[in-house]
Amino acid sequence: MSYTWVLGRRALREALRTPEALLPTLFIPMFFLVVNLGQAGKIFPSTTGFLDGQNYAAFQLPSSMLLAASFGTAALFLVEDIEGGYFDKLRSSPVPRTSLVLGRLVAEVVKGLGIAVVLVLLALPFGIHVASGFVGFLLLIALTALWAVVYVGFMQLIALKTRSAAATNSGGLIFFPLLFLTPNFVPRHMLTRPMEVAATFNPVTYVMEALRSLILQDMVWGRVLAGFGVVGALGVVMVLLNLRMIRHYD
Amino acid sequence: MSKLVAQRAGDPRFVGPAVETHGLVKHYKGRDGVVEAVRGVDLRVEAGEIFGFLGPNGAGKSTTVRMLTTLLSITSGTARVADVDVGREPDVARRRMGVALQEAGLDPRQTGRELLVLQCRLFAMSPADAASRAQQLLELVDLVEAADRRIKGYSGGMKRRLDLASALVHEPQVLFLDEPTTGLDPASRLVVWEEVRRINGHGTTVFLTTQYLEEADQLCDRIAIIDGGRIVREGTPAQLKIELQVRLGLDEEPSLDDVFLDATGRTRERVAGVVREVGA
Repeated sequence: MSYTWVLGRRALREALRTPEALLPTLFIPMFFLVVNLGQAGKIFPSTTGFLDGQNYAAFQLPSSMLLAASFGTAALFLVEDIEGGYFDKLRSSPVPRTSLVLGRLVAEVVKGLGIAVVLVLLALPFGIHVASGFVGFLLLIALTALWAVVYVGFMQLIALKTRSAAATNSGGLIFFPLLFLTPNFVPRHMLTRPMEVAATFNPVTYVMEALRSLILQDMVWGRVLAGFGVVGALGVVMVLLNLRMIRHYD
Repeated sequence: MSKLVAQRAGDPRFVGPAVETHGLVKHYKGRDGVVEAVRGVDLRVEAGEIFGFLGPNGAGKSTTVRMLTTLLSITSGTARVADVDVGREPDVARRRMGVALQEAGLDPRQTGRELLVLQCRLFAMSPADAASRAQQLLELVDLVEAADRRIKGYSGGMKRRLDLASALVHEPQVLFLDEPTTGLDPASRLVVWEEVRRINGHGTTVFLTTQYLEEADQLCDRIAIIDGGRIVREGTPAQLKIELQVRLGLDEEPSLDDVFLDATGRTRERVAGVVREVGA
């Protein structure tokens, strides 16, 4: 664990020293929050049943949080390390291979927590409050941070396989179809039947619904556990695939 | 052979040769089928030597070094570095070798000091020991003033010196330098040569790949030339020159360039742009 933490600290330092890569992860999700609120805020006033007395921004915040957690810049830094030769320097040290990939994932947890907290704080002026209370708030940021790990884990797989910034960057775009095949604008039961089926098979749906329930409702454990379950399962898969990839990296 | 070899005879760390390979082979799967990058390399580098590994582009130099340094899997054959089988015990081997690969692999966002401290920590040093060792190495490679600046602002020569320092954090028994002076100006090249001599003077075996023949002539106790994935010449620079002179009946002693061209079956006309000579 100490090697993982040493490498994780280095990855955090790297992120903090690249504000030009960090700031879009806040700006773009906030931009979508404002635009979506502007477009649909009047259609769905706070009296709308599925808003539980809050405004439409509260319904949209989970989408913005998931978007913020799905930039995967850590994987692009990994490609830079590979292309610049520093990854080989790290590989030539007697560090467990697992630490080489887990270090970045640990850093992503810390970064994801920070970004989630800032996003919630930025959302407060829109009249949003976390209905599930302080514990709900903690679960909200934890779930967002864990999703960031899942996504960076996925991007790291592409980075380690292709060793190409262009391919890794393109891989990141996979998130957009997944984000839109969800109950992004209205609850799942209000979607057309084909969209509802697609959303039901999309794991992002359950993460989004968990985040949304924490914001709009008092603790709905079924929804929350489903979200954590999806993130936990995908996280295990991503970590195992990353470990397999680094062990066979030539 | 260096007198250090004799000095090392009593060194308990060195039981066998510093580097030894038998039938080392590397095959890649390429788009057009299997690529045979290294085809059965046998090498023996004695402890305390500066060993030069030469060859034209694509001859298998870097592939061989990457196998020796555990960065690349071995298709067949064996490789031992500092008495350790690199295929079977890669982590033990990594603790005994230092590696500075082509085009200094550094993290431009860290400072020189941070990079060295991190490297020390990866070799299991405590934070205090890591800080102390980093300071020692910064002094050694004359980078104290630039130590707390980010590496992206360093010159090519400074980066190369820092890379050398990072390969020395754990006082390795064998140091692998893959084209350490490529892209450096003549003054920086001389500084690196001095560093290599000084490191070797402290008893570290140096395994150096280079395309610069004068560099090999100046620095190396022995050299091997690889071409097409096979070793085609091996010996001291003087031995190789004399062998060529005698074999061809030349009046004057040939240069190492002539040895290289003869060994790789090339002519000066054909290799323009492949063999480069430097006058540092």
